[in-house]
Amino acid sequence: MLSGIVSLMLFNDPKVLIPLFLLILLSGRLLGKLGIGEQLRLLKPLLFIVALTVLIWPLVYKPRFMGLLLGVSFSIRLLGFGLITFQLLMTTKQRELILGFVKLGLPYELGLTLTIALRYIPTLYGIAGTIMDAQRSRGLELDRGNILERIRKTIPILVPLIVASLKTAHELSIALETRAFGAGRRRTFYRDIEMTERDYVVLVIILAIFALLLYLRFSLGFGHIVIYR
Amino acid sequence: MIRVENLHFAYNGREVIKGIDLTFGKEILALVGPNGSGKTTLAKHLNGLLKPTRGRVLVDGMDTREHTVAELSRKVGYVFQNPEHMFFEETVFKEVAFGPKNLGVSEKEVEERVRWSLKTVGLEGFEERTPYSLSGGEKQRLAIACVLAMKPKYLILDEPTTGLDLRAERRVAEVIRSLRERGHGVMLITHDMDLVLELAERVVLLSGGRKAFDGPVEAFFKLDLEHYGLEMSELLLLAERLGVGFVRSFEELTGRVKS
Repeated sequence: MLSGIVSLMLFNDPKVLIPLFLLILLSGRLLGKLGIGEQLRLLKPLLFIVALTVLIWPLVYKPRFMGLLLGVSFSIRLLGFGLITFQLLMTTKQRELILGFVKLGLPYELGLTLTIALRYIPTLYGIAGTIMDAQRSRGLELDRGNILERIRKTIPILVPLIVASLKTAHELSIALETRAFGAGRRRTFYRDIEMTERDYVVLVIILAIFALLLYLRFSLGFGHIVIYR
Repeated sequence: MIRVENLHFAYNGREVIKGIDLTFGKEILALVGPNGSGKTTLAKHLNGLLKPTRGRVLVDGMDTREHTVAELSRKVGYVFQNPEHMFFEETVFKEVAFGPKNLGVSEKEVEERVRWSLKTVGLEGFEERTPYSLSGGEKQRLAIACVLAMKPKYLILDEPTTGLDLRAERRVAEVIRSLRERGHGVMLITHDMDLVLELAERVVLLSGGRKAFDGPVEAFFKLDLEHYGLEMSELLLLAERLGVGFVRSFEELTGRVKS
């Protein structure tokens, strides 16, 4: 993933970036078994920034056509980052991902905190929904008024939400302690992951491709457009 | 009068309410049923929090699809299960004042309403306390006061006695009864069959998104409640053992036994 992002950063010529993006899309389909449509749908929230990028580049850069091309390539870069991140999150179980970080030396407590944080996003989302319903039942009109009024109207939502999350966190910490969290020095894992031969092979292939790209870009000057002189 | 006509509601493509007809007026109506039978979903339709996918809900002739929750909140008050999900002000007084202020009621009237509703739920003298510092039962009554201050004709209480001790439960039951006497319609969502027996004038039983029973309390307790995952009222079991027939409160039971 990291090498993918760096590769995207290396090039700024749309002639290179577009095929690279398609390649990422394809690899998601072939290696990760994610539908192309599904992958593109995930990128929808980025569309606004993409539109902005494509519009602004031609305005600030001359010649204009070159600016447009650059706008497109930067958008592709952005979409590529997003896509790679989503692919990782959708093909790897959160648990395994974080366990992987822990194996690489991340303190277990931090890993657990991360897991819990991710785990509680939907829960908090649900509580926020209930709170909004409760306050709407008390006559709070969330979708009326100017921006300042609307900001003020989030207070009746935020305060109960913060209280509820603090309470949840407190209860969770008690639950963790009753299950002897931090009692043993070295902990064992119920579910474990290990580097197998396959993983090493993949790692070597990826590093090799990455090295090749580095060579192409820096020694041969491939896929680079000079923006500033 | 609230009229529910052939209500259907689907959630993420799964139908949870499968055609319910219901009328609700000035009465204490107990809405019961096992978990997941659609009680809360049905109740949320009555003040417009949810809009029907098919059929319609009329609150005094207002179609809930054409009015916002805020507009409907003048007619239908909804007290959520967890009172803490609505408290955000520093004092009890301000907390209760929030609802009527949203309705655009004058300053003086707001104050009157706050005093009145705190009195109704028996929380006079708590005005300057912080809502979160109250006990469980007091919080529950404060939640009722917050909604009551908006003077809704109909009140929906979602499990108002769950997790309360006997004394707190008694206070809430008294509040419900006094609301009924003041001419409010109260819909009580509960699993507490003793509370149903004591307070309800009519019982609606939901099962799997359909209405399985709608009628008077006495007939309701003749149903096979265990079949619907509900517990039989302890009081009625005792009355049956003693052979005194249908009673609605412990006092009534002791009275019959003595005579």
